[in-house]
Amino acid sequence: MIRVEGLTKIYGHGPAAVTALNNVSLEIKTGEFVAVMGPSGSGKSTFLNVLGCLERATAGRYYLNEREVSALDEDELAGLRNQQFGFVFQTFNLLPRHNILRNVELPLIYAGTPGKERRERATALLARVGLGHRLKHKPPALSGGEQQRVAIARALINNPAVILADEPTGNLDSKTSYEIMGLFLELHAEGRTIVMVTHEPDIARYAERVLHFLDGAVVREEVSSA
Amino acid sequence: MKAADLIRLTGENLLAHRLRAILTTLGIAIGIAAVIAVVAIGQGGEAVLLSEIEKLGSSRSFNISVDWMRGEAPTVDTFKLEDVAIIKELSPAVDKLAPVTSGMMIAIRRPQSQAKPVLSQLIGTTPDLTAVMNLPLASGRFFSQADVAAHSRVVVLDGALAEMLFPKGDALGKKVFIQDVPATVIGVTEKQTSQLLGAMSMNRYAFAPITFVQELLNTRVIHELDGVAVTDEAVPQAIADCIKILEKRHPGTSVHYTGMSMKEGLALIEKATGVMTLIIGAVAAIALLVGGVGVMNIMLVAVTERTREIGLLMAVGARRRDILQQFLAEAVALCLVGGFFGVLLGAGGAWAIAHFAKWPPLISVWTVLLAFGFASFVGLVFGLYPASRAASFSPAEALRYH
Repeated sequence: MIRVEGLTKIYGHGPAAVTALNNVSLEIKTGEFVAVMGPSGSGKSTFLNVLGCLERATAGRYYLNEREVSALDEDELAGLRNQQFGFVFQTFNLLPRHNILRNVELPLIYAGTPGKERRERATALLARVGLGHRLKHKPPALSGGEQQRVAIARALINNPAVILADEPTGNLDSKTSYEIMGLFLELHAEGRTIVMVTHEPDIARYAERVLHFLDGAVVREEVSSA
Repeated sequence: MKAADLIRLTGENLLAHRLRAILTTLGIAIGIAAVIAVVAIGQGGEAVLLSEIEKLGSSRSFNISVDWMRGEAPTVDTFKLEDVAIIKELSPAVDKLAPVTSGMMIAIRRPQSQAKPVLSQLIGTTPDLTAVMNLPLASGRFFSQADVAAHSRVVVLDGALAEMLFPKGDALGKKVFIQDVPATVIGVTEKQTSQLLGAMSMNRYAFAPITFVQELLNTRVIHELDGVAVTDEAVPQAIADCIKILEKRHPGTSVHYTGMSMKEGLALIEKATGVMTLIIGAVAAIALLVGGVGVMNIMLVAVTERTREIGLLMAVGARRRDILQQFLAEAVALCLVGGFFGVLLGAGGAWAIAHFAKWPPLISVWTVLLAFGFASFVGLVFGLYPASRAASFSPAEALRYH
């Protein structure tokens, strides 16, 4: 599914240059649930951003389904983000001005899906994450856990193959965190590939495989027994 | 993205900051209102002026003079009274032709009156002038060819002038002193209804036989010839004939005879008032420019505030052109709403000003379309920089922004 070879990302130039990713090579299979751990500044978020086509690597190759992503232009990358990936962020990144139905519909608006189908799919997904009764609420009126559920519904609306989550439980209490992880396990059971950045070991335990980053490189890899 | 979605998102985004949107819109509205009002008043004034000048005379009329533009002035030898008769004889295109000797700021007063003399324009001419100018008589008669031949000391007063000299309205048959020369009022024309021409003092005319006026002003100079062609189409031929005959009869003259038709004169006035409207309109457009700067400012604020949102939109699949389009749409929407209220405000303002100035404003469909076109142009121009800035963000950087 995902294969990177010699992936390197350097920010800035000259003496101020910072190496965020240093020659990372690895493979993630379809349907795998992978956690990425490491101290801040270890390059784990950069790794996720490059996988999600939110930024380009400085060097190395990135293959998604055997297609070389590094060779694609901006519009093709936008298309990939729209069709292949669903993003879940630590700060949810919902649009506060629009109700949650509209927030979930958003990726379909850019996909050009007709309004009726958009509303049906968004309504169904919000019902699935337990928010079917609050479609017209705006994000600020919801709790953190509820907002993250909206964000997960938004990540699923385009039926993506890969879910990319950057500290999805970072702003949530532990009870809510476990609820959200329950949702992730459901997605995993559906056969979706999940890559999740976290610094909490008990959250990382939900994954099948844990990649430990340090100074831009994978230093250790462990396979969960669960 | 579909157009309907773009419009709905734009509306929702703008309504999220109502006060901000209203204030920005106000700037554009004032600019558009200024432009609309100026154009409406200018075009309205021009239309009134042209129609009133048209009322003054025949569309077949023309005027023969010397080249004022080169600083020439007619002399005693430029036009002769005999020339007029000869031209009428020789040119089939010329229907009527009147020589004119005129004096400006001529004091006219009633005998034995303490009232101040009225400064007026004295026109010495022949009865042919009544075919050139529209001079309906309220009472009495215009002077005849016999009066001209006899150097009769008679005068026809413009209605407004007669009212100033004889407020009781009994001018006919009375004596007046034209620069201390007595003359009898034999006719009074109807008052010009035009406020505009009245304001320009174009209504204090006194008409008298040219022979009498030449004696009175102690000059033999004829200033111009005013004529009427047989048909509208014959006007250029009539002018050409006049000039040809005059040049043949006065071969040694140092002046250049020039002719202008009524239509050319109107075109000239139209051009002049058009230029005036354009200049004032350009000044008004500065207000619009200021409004546009306001739009740009507020859009830059919006782009900065919504940086993370832009990152998110890109993460869920928005292309750069989708982001560009979104912010441009918001800028143009602000300007169009401003344009709408600006048209209302401008039309109201033009109407109010015109109401006091007593001429109807002219707001054509074109003026309104122009205003909306201008408004969207301002939106595009001043929205482009903020929008392209928004579209230039890298999604990962925009999402990291705090």
